[in-house]
Amino acid sequence: MTEVFPAIEISAEGDERRASVPVWRNIVIQLGMIIALCLFLVILSEALSFKPDEDISRILTVGLLLFVPGVWLALAVAPEAQSASPRRRLLGVAALSALLAAAIGLPLVQDFFRLGEWLPLETVARRILGFTLTAGVVDTGLKLLALRLLIYPKELRRRSDVVAYCFASAMGYSFYLNLAIVMQLQPSLAIAANYVLANIAIQFASAMFIALGLTESYFGDAFPLVLPSNLVLAAASTGLIAPVFTSIMSGPLGLAGNADRPLYGSLFLIAAICLAAAVTYFLYSASERREREAFVGGGDSDGG
Amino acid sequence: MAVEAGYASDASAVLMTPRQRWSLVFSFVLIGLGFIAGINLRDSSLNQSLIYNNTEAGITARYPQRWLLSEAQDYVFRVEDTAQPGFNTLIEVRTLPVGPDTSERNLLDRLTLRRSQTLIDYTVLGYDIYILPDDSAAVTMSYSYVARDTSPFLEGVSAIVAGLDLLMISRGQAVIVSFRAEASVFQRERATLDRFMQSLEF
Repeated sequence: MTEVFPAIEISAEGDERRASVPVWRNIVIQLGMIIALCLFLVILSEALSFKPDEDISRILTVGLLLFVPGVWLALAVAPEAQSASPRRRLLGVAALSALLAAAIGLPLVQDFFRLGEWLPLETVARRILGFTLTAGVVDTGLKLLALRLLIYPKELRRRSDVVAYCFASAMGYSFYLNLAIVMQLQPSLAIAANYVLANIAIQFASAMFIALGLTESYFGDAFPLVLPSNLVLAAASTGLIAPVFTSIMSGPLGLAGNADRPLYGSLFLIAAICLAAAVTYFLYSASERREREAFVGGGDSDGG
Repeated sequence: MAVEAGYASDASAVLMTPRQRWSLVFSFVLIGLGFIAGINLRDSSLNQSLIYNNTEAGITARYPQRWLLSEAQDYVFRVEDTAQPGFNTLIEVRTLPVGPDTSERNLLDRLTLRRSQTLIDYTVLGYDIYILPDDSAAVTMSYSYVARDTSPFLEGVSAIVAGLDLLMISRGQAVIVSFRAEASVFQRERATLDRFMQSLEF
């Protein structure tokens, strides 16, 4: 059963059950909620000068950290139980991605590549290239590894499955990165909200390009270089978002140092998320439409 | 087959076409190549160097490009990694005129006496030999001390600094290369000193 065709199936008992949980609508709702909360916290801190004491700030930050997987569990994982063909490995993919981020991803980027020591001093072009070839490649490779180990190809029945699992991978991976940043840096509320949004934006954009590649490769039986090309785009999206975000966040240099500009950072991240979602959805829809036309055309020629 | 209709039964879903297999192979090869390129980019950036040349002291050396160079009366030159959080890893070169009877140990003891009066908890950890690129030997002295922020208003935490002095005597002149880094990163940063010593001419 695929989302291309009716998403409702009639069971033998006659009760209507949703064949699959709608993925794109869910993603938009989840990202919308996360963006709304992060933006609210940034505006609260910056525009309304809300400065809670340290304990309250920490509680709010932990609440924000837990809100992200909470929304995903409520809107993406829980409804699968009501589905006729549930995606059983969403939690597994998210958990494995988080573990890979903890065991390999973050140690590689922080301790092996030591990005903080050399990348901030480079030119913009080399920073983008540097983030792409280090953090971008590592994140993309580990998310692909998690998907390959758990769901590719045996758990894929519909195109939307790939998107759902890739989004799960992004959620798991970004959750650990968010946790690590908050534990290590203990940032203020506005900065924490921006870091959470930044990790989600980076991992979401990268995961959606992986999803496009896997969809084309598996359901479209595309040329073998299509998936690698999408991985390049996935790594490049990390390479673009990470350095531009940090540049936008840093304000002009003044006598008291350079002030942060969290609101600018948030607006950039929201634009990045919207752009990544729009581009990948457009390509996904076009590919799905082509497949549907090919399927209908094939059916007609066979006399169906 | 999984690819024919866009949806497939569970039994056929595990089958992959040769194109799909090659896609995965190419993907992981690409990730491996990207990773190697990332290492190469990191190394090229970390190991970029500039030449320092002081004709008066007769010293030429290559130092890391991103390190800050300074010259003063106390030393010939000093380069330090200002991007390092906490204590800045540094290499300092100084020269001293020496008489024919002066031994390396005398000079090192003089350094120890002076430092023990100015540095907090200065402790000599030991002496050793360092083989230079031309196969000659330099005497080394390793030590540690506690470094504190110069400004009391910064409220920084003190750092334990590990140091290594390399002493070479040549033609009536002693050249002392001092390498200092926070103890936790000393071994990792040691590679920078080795590269520096490879390029040092005096």
